[in-house]
Amino acid sequence: MNLATLTMIVLAAGLWSYAWWRRDGSHWRGLLRGWSTLKSTFPLLGLAFIIVGYATVLVPETGLQGWIGSGSGWSGLILALGMGTFIPGGPYVALPLIGTLNDLGIGLGATIALVNGWAGLSLLHAAWELRYLGWRFTAIRWTLTLVFLLLIGSLAQAIFEGVS
Amino acid sequence: MRERTTLILAGVVLLLAVLAWNQGGWEMAGEGLLGGFRTLVRMSPLLVAAFLIAGLIQLFLTQENVSRWLGAESGWRGIFLACASGSLVPGGPFIYYPIAATLFRAGASLGVVVAFVSAKNLWPLVRLPIEFALLGPRLTLIRLAVTLLVPPLLGFLAQGLLGHQSDTIRKSLEP
Repeated sequence: MNLATLTMIVLAAGLWSYAWWRRDGSHWRGLLRGWSTLKSTFPLLGLAFIIVGYATVLVPETGLQGWIGSGSGWSGLILALGMGTFIPGGPYVALPLIGTLNDLGIGLGATIALVNGWAGLSLLHAAWELRYLGWRFTAIRWTLTLVFLLLIGSLAQAIFEGVS
Repeated sequence: MRERTTLILAGVVLLLAVLAWNQGGWEMAGEGLLGGFRTLVRMSPLLVAAFLIAGLIQLFLTQENVSRWLGAESGWRGIFLACASGSLVPGGPFIYYPIAATLFRAGASLGVVVAFVSAKNLWPLVRLPIEFALLGPRLTLIRLAVTLLVPPLLGFLAQGLLGHQSDTIRKSLEP
């Protein structure tokens, strides 16, 4: 068992003990809620991991590294952030895909730009933002976020690339 | 929504399987499928723990609690509270965008609402266990470290540069 799994199990046990200590039934409700989310997202997770399996055998490593890898500079970061905004679906679909691209060697800056593009500037979410907060707010937030996330991607690349 | 996503993903899987079969025959088509299953099985304990943590966090936090903490705060205190609330508020875009609109209408400033939405997008507490499980601790921690200051900075910048637009935006929102 690796350190990540162990940390998560210890954290889950700690939270569950706190819920049990409250003595209001939240330990069972928490278990049920976690189980029902896992059950309902399992088909999605299964399909996402199969896509990950195919991506691993199909995507040519060198091509992808050239486009958005650590040597690709600003254009690679912009492309990675742009690709991130197009990634559909929730974390169960997007994160395994991004994890695979990272395993294929696209580099830390590009991986972080992909996650940030998907999380911070999702095109699917823009419809909700426009509907509830209007075009002025959406334009202001998108412009500022885009500039910041590009800076953050290059910062991550400069500081952490090569740290393992 | 989820059924539609599942169908689209199933279509993508079929397309990739045909592509792999075309490139490397049954061997490559099987390799992709088996690779996916192996990763899923390997990550199962981590995923079960991540979903349990997410379930318990959602139980301890409710949207009502988060909205109450934030209220109609403004200024730097409001921006920091908005970041904390955005990170804690559970639910998808169909939940937090209406909350953001309500905050705006209740008198929150542009910077506060930008900070709230940015924190929800970039640091959501409920998504962290899933991100930790699927991307690994190193990537998750580095991403959090480099984006730590983004939501408050976006809030301050939006307020400083375009805070005067707050009333215009507020008036344009439907009740």
